[in-house]
Amino acid sequence: MDSSVFSFTPLPADFDAADALRIAVQPGMSCRGWPAGAGTTALENFTALEDAFVIQQLKQTGMVIAGATRMSELGLGLTRDTGALAVTDGRADAALIIDYLGEARAAGAKARIFGFKPSWGSVSRQGLTGLVPSMECWGITGRRILDIQQVMTAICAPDDHDFSMHPGPLPDFTESHQFQDRAPVIGVADGYDASLTPEEIRAWKSGLAALETAGCRITRISLPDAALFSLAHHIIASVEASSSAGRYDGVRYGHRTSASDNWNEMYLKTRGESFGTLIKSFLFQGAYFQFQQYATFEQACRLRGLLMDQTLATLSELDGLAGLTITDKADPVAAQTIDHTYQAFGFTLPASLTGLPAVQIPGLACHGSKDFGLHITGKPFKDPDLLALARFLENMGNTGGTP
Amino acid sequence: MNFDQRIFCGSLNTDHTGQHVLLAGWVDALRDHGEILFIHLRDRTGIVQVVFDPGKTSPQVYDTAAALRNEHCIRVTGTVIVREPGTENPHLDTGKIEVAADGLDILSSAVPLPFPISEKSMMAGTNEAGATDSVNEELRLQYRFLDLRRPSMQEKLFKRHQIMKCIRQFLEDHGFYEVETPMLTRSTPEGARDYLVPSRHYPGHFYALPQSPQLFKQLLMVAGFERYYQIVRCFRDEDLRPNRQPEFTQLDLEAAFIDEEFIYTLFEDLVKKIFAVGEIQLSTPFPRMTWQDAMETTGTDRPDLRFGMTFVDATDLFTNTGYAIFKQIVDRGGCIKGINVTGQSDKLSKNVLQNEYAKQIVPGFGARGMTWMRVIDGRLESNIVQFFNETEQQQIMDRFNTRDGDVLMIIADASRHTVCSALGQLRLHVAHRLNLIPEKIYKPVWVTDFPLFETGADGLTSCHHPFTMPSATDFDPDNEEQCLALTSRSYDLVMNGEELGGGSIRINDRTLQNKIFQALGLSPQEVRDKFGFFLKGLSFGTPPHGGIALGMDRVVSLILGTASIREVIAFPKNRRAFCPLTGAPSDVADTQLAELGLGAGGPDQSVPGAAPEADLMETLSWVSRIRVSENEQAAVCRAVTDAQTMARAMESHVGNLQDRDPVYAVFSRTGGTREGTRPQQHPLAENRDLLKNAPEVSGGYFKVASILE
Repeated sequence: MDSSVFSFTPLPADFDAADALRIAVQPGMSCRGWPAGAGTTALENFTALEDAFVIQQLKQTGMVIAGATRMSELGLGLTRDTGALAVTDGRADAALIIDYLGEARAAGAKARIFGFKPSWGSVSRQGLTGLVPSMECWGITGRRILDIQQVMTAICAPDDHDFSMHPGPLPDFTESHQFQDRAPVIGVADGYDASLTPEEIRAWKSGLAALETAGCRITRISLPDAALFSLAHHIIASVEASSSAGRYDGVRYGHRTSASDNWNEMYLKTRGESFGTLIKSFLFQGAYFQFQQYATFEQACRLRGLLMDQTLATLSELDGLAGLTITDKADPVAAQTIDHTYQAFGFTLPASLTGLPAVQIPGLACHGSKDFGLHITGKPFKDPDLLALARFLENMGNTGGTP
Repeated sequence: MNFDQRIFCGSLNTDHTGQHVLLAGWVDALRDHGEILFIHLRDRTGIVQVVFDPGKTSPQVYDTAAALRNEHCIRVTGTVIVREPGTENPHLDTGKIEVAADGLDILSSAVPLPFPISEKSMMAGTNEAGATDSVNEELRLQYRFLDLRRPSMQEKLFKRHQIMKCIRQFLEDHGFYEVETPMLTRSTPEGARDYLVPSRHYPGHFYALPQSPQLFKQLLMVAGFERYYQIVRCFRDEDLRPNRQPEFTQLDLEAAFIDEEFIYTLFEDLVKKIFAVGEIQLSTPFPRMTWQDAMETTGTDRPDLRFGMTFVDATDLFTNTGYAIFKQIVDRGGCIKGINVTGQSDKLSKNVLQNEYAKQIVPGFGARGMTWMRVIDGRLESNIVQFFNETEQQQIMDRFNTRDGDVLMIIADASRHTVCSALGQLRLHVAHRLNLIPEKIYKPVWVTDFPLFETGADGLTSCHHPFTMPSATDFDPDNEEQCLALTSRSYDLVMNGEELGGGSIRINDRTLQNKIFQALGLSPQEVRDKFGFFLKGLSFGTPPHGGIALGMDRVVSLILGTASIREVIAFPKNRRAFCPLTGAPSDVADTQLAELGLGAGGPDQSVPGAAPEADLMETLSWVSRIRVSENEQAAVCRAVTDAQTMARAMESHVGNLQDRDPVYAVFSRTGGTREGTRPQQHPLAENRDLLKNAPEVSGGYFKVASILE
């Protein structure tokens, strides 16, 4: 049955999952036999032929796939996404949201729940309909860190069908990670608050105060080129999108234009009808860099290396790097243009560009009635430590996310 | 420099042996044979080999020769000598001789070439060069001046010139005047979109480039010239097609006090003459076919008569048949027609007929299905033959005049139009598939008596144009049925399935012309607005007249057998109506737009890079294979502008990134091979589940549109 939350669910509204965790997914995540249109005309009427690796893992550990939510086209941005709503409405305990720029974390912040993005390469992307291969992740939103930990325990496993996974050992979520013996060290970039609006500064200050109250040690670090994360992300992601959207050709699956005289017409019209304006704009930007300005793309990739080096260097002394999750400069659920989308996700996209784990924590960085979310980026493949830190902050009883 | 004594390369032969000659042209090819240097010198008449022997030429000349590169423009003096036996070059008309150089000037050097130009091998026994066919056409068009240096391209344009000359001579001999008509004019109703030219003196007003000189040539008849022609450029802003140009050349002709027979005879003689330029002999008179017959026997108004398989109507054979499908169609007033693919039963198996043609191909042509029968041992064989009794089977064989090995493909439908249209496409499909179309055969045919009107979205429209004389004049313009039954005194010249030209006898009576406008639903006001000047002309004693126009690019292309019409046009646009040589169409300065009263901007609001050029958007649309609709254009344009800004921002960070390698992923991983598994087909491919999500599948494959050209 359908609902405003779910575009598809096999379960009745009053389904009793007993003790099992109920997981909402997006229709861009393959569940065998389910519609998997990924919110795009390019995949209209697409039915998943098999379970994604992640879905198999969830089912194997006894979790229930509660339904497919609604989503923005191919999961870029949050304009149509109902993942977090599935959680706050009590239809699911956790919702999986594809994360390119910080979608899962921002969705968490908007809904005042937790959001998490794992290290890139720790979870198999097999069966995930994505757009930006070098950044996209299975993001998770949930009311409790414990639920997110359970989901990660299930899905963070080697899969030899995804060659892009990390070749070394994957994070082990079954080990105990706790902050009881020592104070967590949280880094804050120099000059971070200079970029904030007055409202944001107040929220940020309350977030810092909460961290200190919880017993964290705040330390200043330097990220001299932090202003360039968005530029690098935007150029690289658009190029990857332009490339990887090439598969939506209306030949093997998805929408095909009703009338075309020849092959070229078929492509031009099919793809013209397949994508919405936001995705089209993104793909045209990517095509511009790829075909007209390739040096810019290579330059952005060099910049990505520089930003990764700077970030990793600061993280070596830290347990996490903190900031806000969402901004009041642009709203992630209302952004209609690529420009606004990048503004809305400005705080979360550095972790996507660098492939680092990151968590959104509700209830700490608030001003007035508005919760901007506290965003903490962790060390590569130390996802369990980051979730333990989030659990530590959750247990301070100040997060408001626990019912 | 004195070129008075210059001799053309191509004119040299053994008669010149021993003569001292002055040659000038381009270096077509070079060969360094140890000490001795050979070059092919090319001018517009041909190629001759020039030899620089260090033992015989001065060191200064030899050193200059050693510096020669392809396509340097040079002047050479030397003596014509007969080549040593065994060194003749059979690829050259001048292959028996060569020129021993004693003088050389480089008139102008050439930078390295974007593609090879030489078409003639320097070596006897090797294949001719001419690898330029594999050069990307965009590149050829971008460097068209080099492309046109190739002898094969020069030959095509020379032939085109000869054809045009032949036309002019012929029409001169028949008393026609060449009169020029304006390029800047008012839009005329030809059905396609006009190219508009804004007027500076009348801001907001536009000239139109002519789609044809139709009204002017009729006015020339009113003016009493009696016989007019013009080889004229016409312009149509139509949808892009691979073999279509936004501007094209037309032989336009009109004559007074004539009838159809005059046009037929004149044009048959003319067409015969111009095809003879390409050594193609046509026999006259050309056959004629009414539009009705063409549709009934070939399903198209452009019948390809190079092969048979014309339609046979068999509707009457099945009035009492036991085959329910045919019976129903006959009872509903439908039509049953077929073609006899003679002697091809070996190539058209049951499987091909039933699973490909009946189930896939013919439904794609718009018919519900197809019935097929093969003739084996004097009997019909088919999956439905048992439904026909002995008499019917014999009648079918008689009607289609069958012999053993024949295959009948029959389409039945309640709509006669559907039957003819689908069968026409099937006829061509089968002919192409089985290679039944003979090459180098030219089958002209006049298609005549087109319908005068057809039904459009808003009532009647003219099939040709509203000035075409109807076959009958006593019709009621308000009676649509009666109007639709009218034929026109029009004719198309069709060859090998292509329309080369067409025309008609025109209306020369104002009252009749008004009736036509009335039938077309045009109000007197609209008529005055659109054709006022022309109708005024019609009112002053217009002679009976008629004419024809011939698409010259297509005709020349057909005569020379080129792959596209671009091959016979010196500076064509590409298939996307863009000129890679000049970059037309291009954007213009805001000041120019402002002068013309165009554009929202104006000079003050122009910002460099404010909007990506239409050109860039078009390129990005093409490389992305994404068409952007008009209502999205602005948003996507803005995004590309943002991207341009980002590219500039990125440039300012070049400094501190120089020594770094680009990072394409957050960690690198190589050698991703799964261990312990054997190569195998994916189970989803094996059980065909992969096809389940496909929009169109045919016989276990993904089906796609055909690749045109």
